Formats: sequence, C-alpha cells, structure tokens
Amino acid sequence: MIDRRTGYRFALGRLMMIVLLCFALLPVLWSIVLTFRPKISLFTPIWEAPLAWSLDNFGALARSDFPAALINSLITAGGATILALIVGIPAGFALAKGGLRGTFQTSWALLLLRMAPPIGIVLPLFLTYLNLGLLNTRVGLTFAYMSLTLPFVVWSMWTSFSQIPSELIEAAAIDGATLPQILWKIVLPLSRPGVVAAAILGFLLAWNDFFFALILTRGQTATAPVAIMNFVSYASVEWGAIALATIVLTLPIVPVIMFANRYIVQSLGGAVKG
Amino acid sequence: MKSSRTWKIAISVAVTAMLCQTGSAWAQEEEISVLMFSLPVTRGIAELTDQFEEETGIKVNVEVVGQNVFENQVMLAFTGRTGDLDVVHVPAIQLQRWVAAGWLTPMTDKVNGSDNAAGFFPSALTTYDVAGENYGLPMFVETGLMAYRTDLIDTPPATWEETKNTAAEVHSDATAGIVMRTSPGQGFNMFVLPMITRAYGGKFFADFPGDMSVVVDSPENLQGLDLYTAMLTESGPPGVSNINYPEAVALMQAGGAAMFIDGTSNVVPTLDPETSSVADKIGLAPVPEGPAGRSPAIAVHGLGIPASSSKADAAYRFIEWATSEDVQAQIAINESYPDFTRPAVGEHQDVADKYAAINPDLIQLRSASLSDTIPNYRPLIPQWPEIGAAIGDNVNSALNGIITNAEALKNAQAEVQEILDQ
Repeated sequence: MIDRRTGYRFALGRLMMIVLLCFALLPVLWSIVLTFRPKISLFTPIWEAPLAWSLDNFGALARSDFPAALINSLITAGGATILALIVGIPAGFALAKGGLRGTFQTSWALLLLRMAPPIGIVLPLFLTYLNLGLLNTRVGLTFAYMSLTLPFVVWSMWTSFSQIPSELIEAAAIDGATLPQILWKIVLPLSRPGVVAAAILGFLLAWNDFFFALILTRGQTATAPVAIMNFVSYASVEWGAIALATIVLTLPIVPVIMFANRYIVQSLGGAVKG
Repeated sequence: MKSSRTWKIAISVAVTAMLCQTGSAWAQEEEISVLMFSLPVTRGIAELTDQFEEETGIKVNVEVVGQNVFENQVMLAFTGRTGDLDVVHVPAIQLQRWVAAGWLTPMTDKVNGSDNAAGFFPSALTTYDVAGENYGLPMFVETGLMAYRTDLIDTPPATWEETKNTAAEVHSDATAGIVMRTSPGQGFNMFVLPMITRAYGGKFFADFPGDMSVVVDSPENLQGLDLYTAMLTESGPPGVSNINYPEAVALMQAGGAAMFIDGTSNVVPTLDPETSSVADKIGLAPVPEGPAGRSPAIAVHGLGIPASSSKADAAYRFIEWATSEDVQAQIAINESYPDFTRPAVGEHQDVADKYAAINPDLIQLRSASLSDTIPNYRPLIPQWPEIGAAIGDNVNSALNGIITNAEALKNAQAEVQEILDQ
C-alpha cells in the first residue's frame, strides 16, 4: 500500500520527468515541424496556418550535397570505429591483464589525449596531411577520427576487461589456449556489452564531429555536419533544409542506440560479476 | 637485328612516356579549383561553368560552401600555402587584410591588358585597388534600400528622424515599427549603423585616409547612435538587441515589421511571393537621409587569385569570364541577382523585364543608391574587422542598456585607438 506522501513524491517525480523531457524534445519537435512547412510559413505559428504543409524541403535536400556528405560520414565514422576496435581491444586487454608496468600512467595519458582540445590535434594533423597528400581524402579523415575514438575505445575496453576474473584467463592458459585464443574465445564474449558500448559511443564521437571535417576535408569529402553548415550563408539561411538535414543526421543513431541500450547499461554497470 | 628492334621499342616507350608526362602536366595546368561562398551569383557561376570549360578547355572544380565554412577553409589554405586553390571569393571587407598578409596575387597587368575589365560600376572596381595594384574583379555589389509595408505606410519616410517617428506611429504588438540588424559584429550591426551615423555627419576617422585620427566618439556619431537605439528600443521587435539579417528578413517576410532597412540581397527576398507572405504589400524606397545627406551601405564581393596558386593565367581567364556582362546577365535571369556589377546588365531587356515585374522601381532605386555610396562606407583598412567588432560590441551593449550611448562610443574610441596602435 502506497501512502499519500509517497504517492505525491511519485507524481511530482513523474511531472518533473515529463517537463524535462518536453524541454529536451522541444527543439527536435520544432525541427520536425519545420521540415514539413513551406518557406512562406516557416515562421508563421501553426494555428495561423494550420494547413500549410509541404515536402519541398525533401526535394531541396535531395538536390544538395547532403546525401553524398551523409555517405562520407558513414564511411569515415564507421571506418574509424572499426580501426579503433581492431587496435583498441588488444591494447585494452594488454593494459588490463598484461601485467605491464606503468599501466596507470598509460591509461591517464590516453585519457588526457581524449581531453585535449580538438584544435591542439587538428592543426598539426592539417600540416602533416598537407605534406602527405591526405587532405580532402576519406582515408585521411578516417585516421583523424581514429585519433578521436581510439583513446575512448582503449580506456573503455581496459575498464571492461579489468572486470573479468584473472582466474578465467589463467585456467584457459593452463588448458593450453594461446593469447589470441584467450582474447577471442573467452575474454571478448564475456565483454560483449563493453565492446558494443565502446563501438557505439566511439562511432557517435566521429559521426557528430564537425571540427575535424571542417579543417581536413573539402567538397567531395565533406561530412554531413559540414554540409548542414553550407545551408547557412550570406543573406540566406535555408531553415527548412537545415531542420530536415538535422533530423536525417539523427535518424540512423536512434535505432542503434535503442538496440544497444541494454549493452551500454550493462557495460556501465559491470559485465561480469566476480 | 634483334638489338636494333629492342632499341626501337625502348625509344618508342621512352618517347610515349615523355609525351604522356608532358600531356598530363599540360592537363594539370589547365585544371583550376575555385572556392566561393553561397550567394545567388556564386551559385549562378557554378551552374554556368560548363560554358567556360567548353570555351577554353580549362577544367574547373567549383565549390560553393556556406560562409562560415568558407572562412575557415580559405584561412587554412592561405596560412598553410596549400596551393590547391586558384580562384577565391574575396569579400571587399577582407581585401586589405588579405593583401597585407600577402595572400593574394596582384592582377593589375592582366586587368589593364583586358577589354573585359572595363564596364564595371567604378566604385565596385576601385574597391579592389590597394596601393595602386588591383587584386580582384567584382561580381556582386549591394547597396542599402528600405522595404516598407504599403498597407501601413502611405509615404515612406525621407529622413531618419521621420523614420523614427513613422516607426513609432505604426508600431503594434503584432507588427514592429522597424527592424534592422542589431547583433554585434563588423558585418552585422556595423553594416547598418553607419547609414545613420554618416547621415548625421559621423565618421570613423577625421579625414580618411589622409588624417587617421580616430573620431568615433564625435557628437555626430553620438547623434546617430542615439537615433538608432531610441528607434529600435521604442519600435523594434521583441528581443531587439539580438537580431541579425536572417531574423530580420524572416520577420519582414512574415509580416512582423513595417519597415526594414538593409542591403539589397536581404531586402529583395521580402518581395518574393514564394517566401514572403506580404510580398504584394512591400514597397521600396531609398535609405533615409540626415542633416549630412544620404549614405547607403555598400558591400562588394569579387574574385581574386591566391598568392599560392601556380595557375594565375587560367585563374584570371575564369575570373574575367565569371564577371563578364554575358555571364552576369544569364545569372540575373536564372537567379535572384539584382546585385550585378556592370550597369549594362540592367539594360538587357529580359533582365530589366524580370526585375520590373518584381518591383518597377528596383533597378532604378538600386542604381541611384549605388551612386550615393562611398567606397569607404566601412573603412577599407586591414584592421577594419577588429575595429568593426570592437565598435559593434559597444553599440550592442548600449542597445541593451548596459552602458549609455556616450559611454559606448567613448569605449569604442579607446579600443579603436588601441587596435591602430598595435
């Protein structure tokens, strides 16, 4: 039986949650509405022009550079995530279970790398890429994104692997398993939530990046966040196209997050109970 | 015999390789990259580039990006001397700074030796002269105009004092009396404010360019600033101190303001029935005048050649083509582009008919307004972007009521002096 005071608290909590949710979702809802409004009614309140709806923004977006930029985002963010996982998983395993000296310092150095302002990384990269001919290339941007995602992947995999009892690894070694077999057949399956969470959060870091793409790419290789900025120019702002592009940029992330939600929560809460 | 054949084959391969190499080097010379930010004219140029390629055989990679994206990318290309850009969009307001930094190539000899370089509005072309050298050809020139609601105002005000009074008369909760740019910035509030301060006799320097004594805190500038802040505080829209051109245009298009004074590229969209719900109720008028006369704003954009480009000849051919009368006339028809830089474009019958249908007075008002402009409306000196930002910040603080108008100009005077002393 819930007493009256608990009931009030529960109702108040719910109310606050709804208010906060509305506050957070309002810009998204407004963007969705703008997406379907014709230019002439963009800033007219809905109640004054309730029947003014249009699909013009879809055509404008399709004719722009945005679709190609979206593919660039997918290739570079996806590529960087895969590369970061390939390098970061063994690195995290070595840090967690390798018995290396200086593990603490290494992990903090990685974290500091992640905390460094992007401008401190991107300008040296720009000059290096200039000499290597990697400017305005997807390969260059993919490697640049790897510098964003790798520290994150290593740090999070190190945390995840640390939660696996060392006895399991020792038992496998006694049974004759090689190091790659231990990593692939024992450690990774147990750390699946950590791997999925690292992959998704790493992908999001690269997917949402604007600054690296702005500096390191141009034209054919620009990513979606930069392409959105191209709708803002001298004497014109394409509000409808910006709103639609923002929604399109967000859409692929939603199902991924919903699918991976369980893994992320598990990863944050600890993968294996000792 | 066998040896002779081998030699022949070897020589043939070597000659073919040399020819291929020469061919590829030649082809490389004839490929140029162009970076511009989005304007009707730049979009129009990009659309017509095939014509240039067919005429000249020079391949052109044109990229038109947003203004912020452009500024970042062009800065990196200049400072990194990347050499991958051959033609760049040159806003006149940045010209002096870019020239002082050695980022642009002089085009004087090419311009002097070309017939096509004649026929520009003189004020637009001379904007690209720095210390006797030319650094670009103009592709866009806009000037100040007033858009007003004909259903609310019978006769547009002729002076700034009348404008303030008219705005107060027609101001209501539904419709602001007037909207102008107020956000701080050299290209924002400092694009429109000098239209008022100069009309009251205000200047930035005592006698530019001869006497560069700073006179920002002069009584004339204070008079102009007093009018600007009073008019917008009393009759401006809600949130008046944070309005930039997109908000101002959107407000006017939605019928939320009775008057809007800005550059032609922002005023003309209020006449477009596709984007403006009050397009049929908009009239155009010259920028109001003051005791010292009329001083409409002017903004010029052109095309120049980065110092790091190794293809200056091909780049100039493109610039000459892009700013030619024929190309400008085509763009004026294809896009909303009344901001052409050659008077002759307005004499093309199809161009004249198109803009007369939008507003019968547009072309004539624009030409008259251009003749009232002064090239140094915003002083064309390398420090202007910093100076404009400093004054703009103080003016915005005054509009917000944080400091008085007199304090704003006094602070601005000190800051401008400091910038010039550096």
